[in-house]
Amino acid sequence: MTAALGQPARSVLACGEVRTCLLPSFQAFDARAAAQLLRLRADEPVRISERPSMYALSPEILTGVDCRLPASNGSKVRSVGTVAARAALTEGRLLQATAYFSLPAAGPDIRRPWGQYLVRPGLVEPFGKLPQQATVEGMLRGARRGELDLGMIAEGLLAALRRHALLDRRVPFKSSPTRLRWVARRGDQQASLVNFTVAEGGLRTMELRLPEHIPAAAAAGLCEDLALHDWLLTTVQHMLDNSRLGTADGPSVVEALHPVVVHLLHLWMPRAHVDPALGHLWDVLEEKPGFSRQWENLSRRIRDRLALQAVAMPHQALSTS
Amino acid sequence: MTEAVFQETTAELRTQAVPLAHLSLELGHLYMEDFEAGPKRLGEHFAEVRVWADAVRASLERRTQRPRISTCFLIDDYFTRFSTPAELIPMVLKEAEKAGLVIDYLARESGCAVADRIELAESVMHRLVESPPPGSYGSRPPVSQTGWLANGERTPSASRSALGAVKGWESPQETAARNHSIFMDVELWSEKDGRRLWSCPFLAAVWQLARLGLLRHLGEPVLVPREWGGADFPHDWDRLPPLIKLTDTRAAFSAYRTCSMMPNRFIAVEDAVRLILDQTDVDAGALQQVAERSAAERMPVPAAVAQRATYVFYEEPADSSEAEGT
Repeated sequence: MTAALGQPARSVLACGEVRTCLLPSFQAFDARAAAQLLRLRADEPVRISERPSMYALSPEILTGVDCRLPASNGSKVRSVGTVAARAALTEGRLLQATAYFSLPAAGPDIRRPWGQYLVRPGLVEPFGKLPQQATVEGMLRGARRGELDLGMIAEGLLAALRRHALLDRRVPFKSSPTRLRWVARRGDQQASLVNFTVAEGGLRTMELRLPEHIPAAAAAGLCEDLALHDWLLTTVQHMLDNSRLGTADGPSVVEALHPVVVHLLHLWMPRAHVDPALGHLWDVLEEKPGFSRQWENLSRRIRDRLALQAVAMPHQALSTS
Repeated sequence: MTEAVFQETTAELRTQAVPLAHLSLELGHLYMEDFEAGPKRLGEHFAEVRVWADAVRASLERRTQRPRISTCFLIDDYFTRFSTPAELIPMVLKEAEKAGLVIDYLARESGCAVADRIELAESVMHRLVESPPPGSYGSRPPVSQTGWLANGERTPSASRSALGAVKGWESPQETAARNHSIFMDVELWSEKDGRRLWSCPFLAAVWQLARLGLLRHLGEPVLVPREWGGADFPHDWDRLPPLIKLTDTRAAFSAYRTCSMMPNRFIAVEDAVRLILDQTDVDAGALQQVAERSAAERMPVPAAVAQRATYVFYEEPADSSEAEGT
């Protein structure tokens, strides 16, 4: 009944975590199979886009939380609300799960009736004032025991999808999943990318600035796009490193690079499904370190290597391979 | 900003709007035992309801000069099948008319489980988001596995301490308790012979969502009323559409708010309905449409869905609860 309680809160931060992995299926999924896999709700459609590349996005599901927020300065801010989670499948090959939520600058000191949180999906309210800087740092560092754990929510969704009956759980090649944690501060006129850090163990962190009118879902989409391309770079680079191109003899080179050509080379398509208002954030990474430049370089190395192989090999050997 | 030149319909989300009245007024809910008690009992019911229906109308007229009120009536054909539409519906309509009431829309309870081959109850079940007890940091409690929904933390199941001694009883805890808990645990369904039987409160929650205009299937409205232009009613419940429109009223079936009239023995059921509604993440598009349109009419709805439902619980006619055979 209280008017102040009913007001939609303006968010000052959005935080998320994306997990990216290869779909555990020998064959890439077509649009129909993708729609079946990502149908997290019976009454809400899976969004399918076939141009310029096949991209399927699940409806969002919510997880209720009532716990402390990660904070770098040790402040213990209880927060209550819902975290949104969604999954995406690109070209029927790369599976991603994102968990994300927004935070207002302050919230009431009591817990509201649960129904009031549910009508603001993806919003988590702090008790009292939000320590913004400490929360940004805490979220990027990751959750400690008992703190709001986005990784756990994203991983939970991914695990549920991996158990889907449509999947044969056979992968065409080995790869490692990556996770990208991101935090966006609200309030700037222009969206910008502040920082993108490649850390160890498949972890990446990213800081953004976002104008108020851009929904957190759009930021999640951008981060998924960056995570996907970062996964491609990481994975292909790793495969090239491991294939010992300089020393290996003929057929094994073809064998090692075959999955890259069949499954990955065509997946490079920056900003294909990113909100147009955020597409320019790619430019920073194209400038330095030059994501696409690195990808072109990797692709060229693979093609050159295979071309050399073709020249060197007798024709019969090629036709039987 | 300019519209994008290239569009893909399968990549967009659209939620179709439904027409909305100010109030959906439920004049009754008929179970087999009510039917068995005969037309006189039904007449008593409507006579009582009439008084409250007038009061509800007067209350709405305080807020708007031209209230749009639609009335509805629900018949149980899900838990027990009795009589036939041909026999029952004319009797219900006649008794309502005697009391000066008009039933605009009539629904079958099984329509809240499955309507036009769409599994409504199943869809709503997928939308349950449990209220997290303090300390929930991202682990998702599996409501879809237990089939029960509570308003707090249950008593831990009998556990042993490290030394093997059985611990004493621990109390359950209502999450939103004020000083003391009123803990409630609602069974959403049961399984029998491999068939899922939805519970009465769960179907009643679906019924409330339908009346509040908040149900969609892939963006399309569901449980849409079918015109029933004075034709004879069928002899089989399955041949009756799940929701029919009996009058030429201009008030839509769904509304900003609902009011349900029922005997006071239904208090527990409706409390359970509120518990379910309070933990249901309804279609965001539909929610927004209702919020915007009600605000534009200067009758903004309460933010929480469960708060949009009101009730009148009245005393049953004396003989009814002791009806023979029940």
